[in-house]
Amino acid sequence: MKHESAIAGVGATPYYFRGQSAPQTLYEMICKAILAAVEDAGLTIRDVDGLAFYSMGFDSGLIAESLGIPELTFASTVSGTGGGSAGVLDLAAMAVETGRAKTVICVGACQQLQIRYGTAFSHMPVTPEKAWERAAGLTGPGQVFALIARRHMHTYGTRREAFAEVVISSRLYAATRESAIRRRPLSIDEYMAAPMLADPLCRLDFTLETDGAVAFVVTSGERARDLKRRPVYIAASAHGGTCEWGRAFHWLNMPDPIFTTAGSEPIAARLYAAAGIGPKEIDVALIYDHFSPLVIMQLEDYGFCHRGEGGAFVESGAIRINGSIPVNPHGGHLSEAYIIGMTHIREAVEQLRGEAVNQIEGAQFALVTGGPAPIPMSGAILRN
Amino acid sequence: MSDVSAHPSLSGYEVPIDSWTQPFWDATATRKLVLPRCADCDRFRWPPGPFCPGCHSQRVEWVPAGDGQIYSFTIITKGDGDQHQVFVPALIEFPEAGGLRLVAAIVETPLAAVRIGARVELSWSHAANATVPVFKIVTL
Repeated sequence: MKHESAIAGVGATPYYFRGQSAPQTLYEMICKAILAAVEDAGLTIRDVDGLAFYSMGFDSGLIAESLGIPELTFASTVSGTGGGSAGVLDLAAMAVETGRAKTVICVGACQQLQIRYGTAFSHMPVTPEKAWERAAGLTGPGQVFALIARRHMHTYGTRREAFAEVVISSRLYAATRESAIRRRPLSIDEYMAAPMLADPLCRLDFTLETDGAVAFVVTSGERARDLKRRPVYIAASAHGGTCEWGRAFHWLNMPDPIFTTAGSEPIAARLYAAAGIGPKEIDVALIYDHFSPLVIMQLEDYGFCHRGEGGAFVESGAIRINGSIPVNPHGGHLSEAYIIGMTHIREAVEQLRGEAVNQIEGAQFALVTGGPAPIPMSGAILRN
Repeated sequence: MSDVSAHPSLSGYEVPIDSWTQPFWDATATRKLVLPRCADCDRFRWPPGPFCPGCHSQRVEWVPAGDGQIYSFTIITKGDGDQHQVFVPALIEFPEAGGLRLVAAIVETPLAAVRIGARVELSWSHAANATVPVFKIVTL
């Protein structure tokens, strides 16, 4: 497409197990990732004129001061939380395509020194409309997704073996990836023996908790073609969501059958329409995997299999490297690292540059999804 | 499995309440469970808020919840060995209230009896400033 934006550079810090990134500060890691991304693109910090964030965002002024970014003409945040991770590309592409900025940095980062994300609810002030979840004894998102996962099992006959396959396949991919935190192969017996944290979810169904930062340079496709690296085009990007999904795990009144989805069907429909392709054309899927059952539900939402058949689909081996749709060849949040969806965009770029550790031969189209979460949710289709 | 679900620890929990949720907690203080229905179009809404999402009326009637059943649940185990406790946060569906679902704890119930579709009966637990609805499984 004529006005397509592109990812021209990628930068990242190493990934650290939760808390191990100290004594670096969060903003130190953010700046390191930005500098690395700019260098990768063959640009300088003086070229940067836009910042795009998600999940509450960061302090634009502090980043500009710290790095000496001369002037920002765009600095904006996708509302919501991890649901907007792929939406940061939507925001950056809009800025570039409307001429608001020429060189937009997208950045995501986390550092868990005091507060673990897994107990996030108990550190957030309870508001009147959320009073009931605390009263029910719910303290983290995994426990609430367990309610959705159990209902999916009840409605469709999904088995724990399917959740296990999502984790086991992520570990197989991570084995060859040096940046991954969990690289040891996992057997089904080990999976079944892991302690239950929120039945039917065991400890291995939960994302890792890690520290690190990842940044991207988004610019026009035309300009990207003159830069250092092979451009990765943003063929489609979307963020948003419907009132029937709403606050998702903070609401839990999503009507049937939407309750047992990942809430991403409307995003999927918009992405495929905008890119002019369907799920069959996607070569590799980078699916936000904070909790393994939600990978299965997103595969259904994005049309890789029929509704309710996601469990059998993954159990058939479909998401492995020789399967019909390889999922998260970087090891994902479950086995590589959790930087709130940014590692998935990074892997999409590496796949489409043809330099991924677990390269899908001839990959042309990559799907990246944002987290199943309160809206806005998000997604992007990238191409080379 | 001989475990019996425990009451969540709520004694230090100050329930945040606003003008739209106040009637819910006023009713639980008198051990009644009521749910908000639009006084104009009869649509139930959750959480209790300033507008009916269907017709935008601000008028609310608080009506008895009726019988509930388990829509889904999770089991959370805390502590080890003899000291461990099990908690069962659940989603309770109220067919007479338009299928509205309330998230609440299943208490004093053997885990073996907890299943989707099980009918529940109302019971009560106590937060710092409010009486909190919890549920037990109806056993015949």
